[in-house]
Amino acid sequence: MRAFSYSRPRTPEAAVAAFTDAGAGARYIAGGTTLFDLMKLNVERPTHLVDVSELHGTDLIETSGDVLRFGAGARMADIADDETIKREYPLLAESLWRAASQQLRNMASVGGNLLQRTRCPYFRNGAGGVYPCNKRDPRTGCAAIDGLDRGQAVLGTSDACTAVSPGDWPVALTALDADIVVLGPQGNRTIPIADFYLLPQDTPDREFSLEPGELVIEIRVPRTAAGRASTYHKVRDRESYAFALAAAAVALRIEGGQVRQAHIALGGIATKPWRSREAEAALRGKAPTRENALAAGRAALAGAKAGRHNGFKIDLAANTIADAISIAAERSAS
Amino acid sequence: MTLSSNPDRPRVDARQKVLGEALFAADQRVDNLLHAMTVPASIAKGRIRAIDSSAALKVPGVVRVMTFDDFADIRTTPASRGAYGQPGKGYQPMTGPDIVHRGEPVALVLAETLEAAIEGAESVSVEYDEAAEFTALMEQDGAEEESEVFTRLDHGDAEGAFAGAVHKVDVTYRHPQQHHNPIELISTTALFSEGKLRILEGTQWSSALAGGLAGMIGREPQSVRASSPYVGGGFGQKNGIQEQSALVARAATIMARPVKLVMPRGQLFHTASYRPRSLHHVRLAADADGKLAAGLYRTEQQNSRYDGYNPLFGETPPRMYGYPNWAGEDRVIRVDTQTPGHQRAPHEHPSSYATECALDELAHELGMDPVELRLANDTDTDPITGKPYSSRHLAECLRRGARMIDWGRRRREPGTLRAENGDRIGLGVACGNYKASMSPAIATLRLQANGVCRISLSGHEMGQGLRSVIAAELIEVLGVDPAKLDIRIGDTGLAPQMLTAGSWGTASVAPAARAAALKLRANLVELIGRDDFEGPAHVQLAKTRRPMLKVEIDTVPLGEGPQALDNLRRGLPVTTGPEYADFMAFSWIAHFAEVHVEPSTGRVRTRRFASVIDCGRVMNRRTTESQVKGGVVWAIGAALREIGETDPRYGRVLNNDLAEYLVPVNADIDWIDVEVIDEPDTRLNLSGVKGAGEVAMVGAAAAIANAVFNATGKRIRHLPIRIEDLLQGL
Ligand SMILES: Cc1cc2nc3c(=O)[nH]c(=O)nc-3n(C[C@H](O)[C@H](O)[C@H](O)COP(=O)(O)OP(=O)(O)OC[C@H]3O[C@@H](n4cnc5c(N)ncnc54)[C@H](O)[C@@H]3O)c2cc1C
Repeated sequence: MRAFSYSRPRTPEAAVAAFTDAGAGARYIAGGTTLFDLMKLNVERPTHLVDVSELHGTDLIETSGDVLRFGAGARMADIADDETIKREYPLLAESLWRAASQQLRNMASVGGNLLQRTRCPYFRNGAGGVYPCNKRDPRTGCAAIDGLDRGQAVLGTSDACTAVSPGDWPVALTALDADIVVLGPQGNRTIPIADFYLLPQDTPDREFSLEPGELVIEIRVPRTAAGRASTYHKVRDRESYAFALAAAAVALRIEGGQVRQAHIALGGIATKPWRSREAEAALRGKAPTRENALAAGRAALAGAKAGRHNGFKIDLAANTIADAISIAAERSAS
Repeated sequence: MTLSSNPDRPRVDARQKVLGEALFAADQRVDNLLHAMTVPASIAKGRIRAIDSSAALKVPGVVRVMTFDDFADIRTTPASRGAYGQPGKGYQPMTGPDIVHRGEPVALVLAETLEAAIEGAESVSVEYDEAAEFTALMEQDGAEEESEVFTRLDHGDAEGAFAGAVHKVDVTYRHPQQHHNPIELISTTALFSEGKLRILEGTQWSSALAGGLAGMIGREPQSVRASSPYVGGGFGQKNGIQEQSALVARAATIMARPVKLVMPRGQLFHTASYRPRSLHHVRLAADADGKLAAGLYRTEQQNSRYDGYNPLFGETPPRMYGYPNWAGEDRVIRVDTQTPGHQRAPHEHPSSYATECALDELAHELGMDPVELRLANDTDTDPITGKPYSSRHLAECLRRGARMIDWGRRRREPGTLRAENGDRIGLGVACGNYKASMSPAIATLRLQANGVCRISLSGHEMGQGLRSVIAAELIEVLGVDPAKLDIRIGDTGLAPQMLTAGSWGTASVAPAARAAALKLRANLVELIGRDDFEGPAHVQLAKTRRPMLKVEIDTVPLGEGPQALDNLRRGLPVTTGPEYADFMAFSWIAHFAEVHVEPSTGRVRTRRFASVIDCGRVMNRRTTESQVKGGVVWAIGAALREIGETDPRYGRVLNNDLAEYLVPVNADIDWIDVEVIDEPDTRLNLSGVKGAGEVAMVGAAAAIANAVFNATGKRIRHLPIRIEDLLQGL
């Protein structure tokens, strides 16, 4: 960890200006639960931190209109606890309270959450030449592909990188077609979440479509009736305080015993939050039976590619989707 | 005085700990301190070519960067890390340019602040000549099997009996590498006070730390004092001198200033000890009635190239049941890794895992209930030596535990008991034993007429509740008020300090405290001329107008002589058991697990656990139950979660932090019911104590693995059992 300078502006505009002034070594910091961690591991070496945790108005949680609006600075714990969200969008609440630990959720912002970095151990623990990593040090190689890859992705991988996109909340947002509102040196823009995350291809160091200095201001989720019949179902190596081995965000609109509308996204198994149009298509117009749910799960994994030790994640993810569909369908009935 | 059963009582230091008033070694305030940080080797084997400290020295606050040039005269002795008391073994890093394991310190940065020390350490650049090859794992080609075989135990004709038997199993189990990860990191602070070099370190053995360090850095033993005020989880990782201890002590001497190093957790995976990988080949045979005919047990343990950590897997399993024939041998496989060491039930946990699972396989093969099979082979005498056990209430542990878990529900046919939600329910049983040992101890006890009582004693408080054990005897014999009790342990300045490990802490300090209290009481009785008084002793003392009474005693364990006390003073190991002149002594336990396995994911949840322990007299019900619950939680971790993953291409533990090295969290733990058999074993010592801390865990992982088989029909012969092992075909 290196010495750095620090500023704490009060408005988003001032934050962007402070970032621009500080130059290439600048980073925003909100809860710090990703950034400090990586600074201690010597993966991140910022020279200046712009603290955005006290920007006016960014802790907004607005659930009454046609779009749900979450300020980037809202805490994970606060949204996870919001009564309206718990009732009408259980997948959003569950994606948050099944993540990390209560202490972390009290610190972490939902904006910073979008930008958390992979847990690939070769990425995190390999600074200073210990392990090569194309994501950390471009074009140095990948130690994970021929290594202990139990946790690596099976969807969206490339020859350069198989690191999993770790977040849970981004998966739920992907299922619900969220928009990310950002403020940059050039002003405001809105990025659909589908375009926010990049596949690794041959530039795994580029993970987000944000430009330097762009500040996430708000997350917007269009209202949907499917929200109530939804779940974020997460399977991991222990019952809490662990990242997903496989997770499924599912929201359904069921009428007359048939799925009319399905939102399905996957976590823990792909290099970015993974929307599965294939699973959605497989389920649409069908009854949410176990058989149909499993068929949808398998459809989502059709293009999956296993490494050395992570093949089990393909079946696990398919079953997890099926379980999630059953839970969501049950909620639709009640 | 007759021994009474101890009532339920809070820990004497509970309040202090909750308020954060209990200061651990690294919490002590030291003025004029230099902070140290290590630079870990980034290769697994080779030689340092050059070290460039110039950038580090430019970091504001960095005072000095030390390298092997500064430490070349530190001697590697039998007290050094990895030697385990054996001459010619062990390894002290930074005494030369060679690198023998990944992560060993190659430079020590000293700075005015911790931040500067860290930044300095990251700025040191080291060039290496890397060895062309190295071997990280015992399964690889370069692994070297040691010719010497440890613990060869032969009794009867095991091969012959096995060959002739009808019912048998022949199975191999694998146990992974595990890391202790105590919450208190390993810290060393060296300072000078009262003309002595004083070391503050959370250690389980301050006398060996003081005496051993003196030998390594060339000082008079009397000129080093070591203090270990509290240990924030030891579990064997803090048994002796650490890789860092001598470096910090020497750095303080060179700088003539206090120096403190708190080793970061990520580095501890390589510099501190851990439970090594091991392989267990078990063959068991029985006749049609389930009478055991033979046990054959061969193990391999991964070690470093240089350490003296002996493999002792074969010591306890033959003592579990009445094996008429037994053959066992333990071997060592050497690779280029860091020094392994003792971790709670160091060999007993892996060996009970393998043998108690194999016994479950035998029960299945026999079509016999596994509790019945164990009861059918109960024994009062040790099959190997023919000596009786000092006490053994294992059958009662089994019967009680079976009632607690409602064993009658269990179906012999795996996978047939189902929960309402479709989960497969499995019940499993396994037993454990652990030798009952004792160490000599020395105590000074002082009782004042105003009720204030102070005792200085050998022993270390590691959270197991040693202070509460000492208090129990003083309360019982002298009627002392716990609030007026001052218990001083873990400091060589106060009393010679024994290694507090191997489950002998309570069996060593309780008799010492009791003997001291009885002696003081006898002196008081002489003074007042009557021995029939009730209530606190200090009230009687006050009547004599004497301000205080003081006694000194030493206790020598059964079968030992004065030499034992001498060794205690010199920081040499002295322990007894399990074999004594007239008997063998063990603590015993029976564990029962109920697991639920989710068919769509293979997730295992341990819904219920019942454990019944026979550990002699219970000195404190809470801390004893807490030991057992902790042992069970640890076993749930061992069975289902824990593994130190080493990538053989790098020889480095990949998951070297608490987020990725998975131990159970609260949500993983449901019911753990513990019962104690509070029967004093007075043949062993004055207090009737055996020991609880280690046996608590022995067999518990096997109970879970056996329950997983009962739930799924799958025998997973490695740990941890994870989703990928069970996902298919449920
Ligand atoms: C032990 C551990 C376990 C965890 N488990 C889980 C889990 O199970 N599931 C899960 O989903 N997450 C998990 N997390 C991750 C956690 O959710 C994230 O670290 C957290 O959400 C990040 O939020 P933060 O406010 O602390 O971000 P910070 O650490 O402050 O920032 C993270 C990144 O975002 C940037 N940034 C922050 N705010 C903005 C902004 N407004 N605009 C632009 N850039 C910004 C920062 O520069 C930095 O690069 C875990 C983390 C830890 C340490």
